[in-house]
Amino acid sequence: MARKYLRMTLNERIQHLNLAINFTILVITGFALKYPEAFWASPITDVPLGMTFRGFLHRLSGVATVTLGGYHLLYLAFTERGRQIVKDMIPTFKDAVDLWETLKNNLFINRPAKIIKMGRFNFREKFEYLGLIWGTIVMTVTGFILWFKEEWLLFFPMWTFDVARAIHFYEAILATLTILVWHFYSVILNPDVYPMNWAWIDGHLTEHEMELEHGMELERIKEEEKRRLVDFQEASNAGGGRIYPLHPESSSRLNVRRFYGIVQDLNESIKNWKGI
Amino acid sequence: MKIIHKYNCAGVCLYLSVLFLIMISGLTSTAWGDSSMCLSCHGDKSLTKTDSRGNKISLFVSEEEFKKSVHGSIACSDCHTQILDDSHAQKKGKKVDRKVDCGSCHEESEKIYQTSVHRLKAEISCKECHGYHYVTPLSNPKSATYRTNLVQTCGACHGEESKQFAESVHGVGLSRGRPNHPTCTTCHGTHGIKPRSDPDSAVHERKIAITTCPQCHAAEQITREYRFTTKPVKSYYDSFHGLSYRGGDTFSANCASCHGVHDIRPSSDPKSMIHKDNLQKTCGACHPKASLNFARGKIHTLPDIKGGDFGEKVVGWVRVTYIFLIVSVIGGMIFFNFTDWLRKTIDRKP
Repeated sequence: MARKYLRMTLNERIQHLNLAINFTILVITGFALKYPEAFWASPITDVPLGMTFRGFLHRLSGVATVTLGGYHLLYLAFTERGRQIVKDMIPTFKDAVDLWETLKNNLFINRPAKIIKMGRFNFREKFEYLGLIWGTIVMTVTGFILWFKEEWLLFFPMWTFDVARAIHFYEAILATLTILVWHFYSVILNPDVYPMNWAWIDGHLTEHEMELEHGMELERIKEEEKRRLVDFQEASNAGGGRIYPLHPESSSRLNVRRFYGIVQDLNESIKNWKGI
Repeated sequence: MKIIHKYNCAGVCLYLSVLFLIMISGLTSTAWGDSSMCLSCHGDKSLTKTDSRGNKISLFVSEEEFKKSVHGSIACSDCHTQILDDSHAQKKGKKVDRKVDCGSCHEESEKIYQTSVHRLKAEISCKECHGYHYVTPLSNPKSATYRTNLVQTCGACHGEESKQFAESVHGVGLSRGRPNHPTCTTCHGTHGIKPRSDPDSAVHERKIAITTCPQCHAAEQITREYRFTTKPVKSYYDSFHGLSYRGGDTFSANCASCHGVHDIRPSSDPKSMIHKDNLQKTCGACHPKASLNFARGKIHTLPDIKGGDFGEKVVGWVRVTYIFLIVSVIGGMIFFNFTDWLRKTIDRKP
C-alpha cells in the first residue's frame, strides 16, 4: 500500500472549500452585473428582484471571503503549521530557476529532461498563493470603496470611484482567468494528476505525486524520519537502523484469523465474567 | 313596319322608364352624396339646439372649412351612417344617433386605439384629439395633431404635464419649430398610449433607458445635427446604474430618475434637476447620505486615454494597463501550461 503524505489538514481543507464556494458565488454574481444580457445570467436577471438579490449575495460573499482572509492570517500567525506555511511560501531564486528549467524540459531544450526537485510549495503554488493574496487585497479595497461610496466620496473625487470600479472589474477578470487557466491546470488538467488532485478532499498526496511535484520536500521528510528513528534507541538497536513493523498484518485488513481471535477473546471474557 | 315601330316604341318606353328610375335613385343618392341636403340646414350659422342642460349648441357646419379638411371629398352620410334621412330634423328634441365609426376606414388605428388607456380607462375617442368636421392631416401646421400643436391638444386634459413640458428643453426647442424635437407622442406613442405601469407602454420604466430616450439620444443623425454626443447613453449602459438596469433592476436609476420626466432642463438652468446646486438633492433621492462632494463628480464618463476629462484619462490608463497585464499574464500561463501538457502527453506516448 502506497504511503500517503499529509498535504492539507481538515482545517485547511475547510478553508479551501469555503474560499472555493465564495469565489464561485462572487464570480457569478459579479459578472452577471457586467454582462446582464449573457445567457448564463438569466437565472439572476429573469427573476423579479434578481439583480437586488445578486448585489446582496455579492456583498455577503465578499464579507465572507474577507472574514476568511482574516481567519487565514490568524491561522498563519498563531499555529505552528501556519508559521511553517509562511516560511515555506517565501519565493526564492530557486523558484525562478525551477520555472525556467521546467520550461526548458517542456520544450525539449534540456536533453535528457532534468529532474527538478521542488520544495513543499513549488513555483506554481507560490505564484498562485501570492497572487491570491494580492487579488484579495485589491478586491477588498476596491470592493469596499464601491460599497461605501457615500463615505468614500466624502473625501475623494468621483474619478477615484471610477478607478476603483475599473480595477475591481479587471482584477476580477484576471483572478477568474488565473483560477481557470493556472489552478485548474495544476489540479485537474495536468496529466500527472488527471482527473483530479484529491488533496482538497482527502488531504493527502501519494508518494508518486510527492516525487513529481515536491521532490525536495519528500527527501526532507524521509531524511527527518530516518533521523528520528535513529534517535529512537530501541528501534535502532532492534533493526540496526532499519525498522520493520512488529505486526505486519495489524495494519492490513481484518482477516478470518484475526476475526476468530476477537470472537475467542469475547468468549473468554464472558466465561470469566464475575460481576461488578 | 308597324310591328317594328310598335316594338321600338315599347323598347324606348322601357329604356326611358329604366333611365328614369336610375335618375330618381341617382338624384336621391347625389343629394346625400354631395351633402347639399345636410348643408341646406346645417349650412345655416344660426342653426342651434338646446341640450338637456339648457346650453345652446351650434349645429353649424362650414362647407368651406369642411371642403378644405382631409375628409372634404367624402359625404356627411359616409361617416354619419346612422342618419338615414332628414327625419331627424322633424321632431324637436329628438335624440339623433350621431355615432361615427372612424374605424370603418381607419382600421389599423382603431385596432391600436382599442388597447389604449384613453379607450380603456377614459372616454377619449378620435374626435377629442383629431377634431371632427375639420380634420386636417398631420402635416398641416394648423392641425390639432401637428407636432407643435400637440402640447395644446394633449394639454386640454393633461394641463400640468403640458405646462412642464412647454418650459423644458424639449418643449422650448419644439415651440421654436425645430425639426426632430420631441413632442408628447415621441415618447408616449400615438393611438396606443398605455399607462406608465403597463409593460407594453412606451414609457414603462423598463423602456425609458432602452428605447424612450435613446431613440434620439443614441441616434447618430440627431446627435450630429444638434451637436450633442451619444456618450451619455453609452456611459449610462456601462455604469452601475445602467448595468443593473439592463439586468432588470427597477430600483436602479434610469434617465428619468436624474433628468426628470416632462420638465427636463439643461444643466445650466437653475431649475434643472441636474443643475449643480440641485444635484445633491437629486442624488439624495436614492443616496440619502450623498454629500456635496458626492454630487460634484462627473457622471457620464467613458474610459479614454485621450479623453478631455482627467478621470476619464486615468480610468483609460488603468484599463490599458490591466488589459496588457491580463493578456501577458494569462497568455504566459496558457503558453506554459500548454508546453507542460504537451511534454507530459508526449512522455506518456506508448
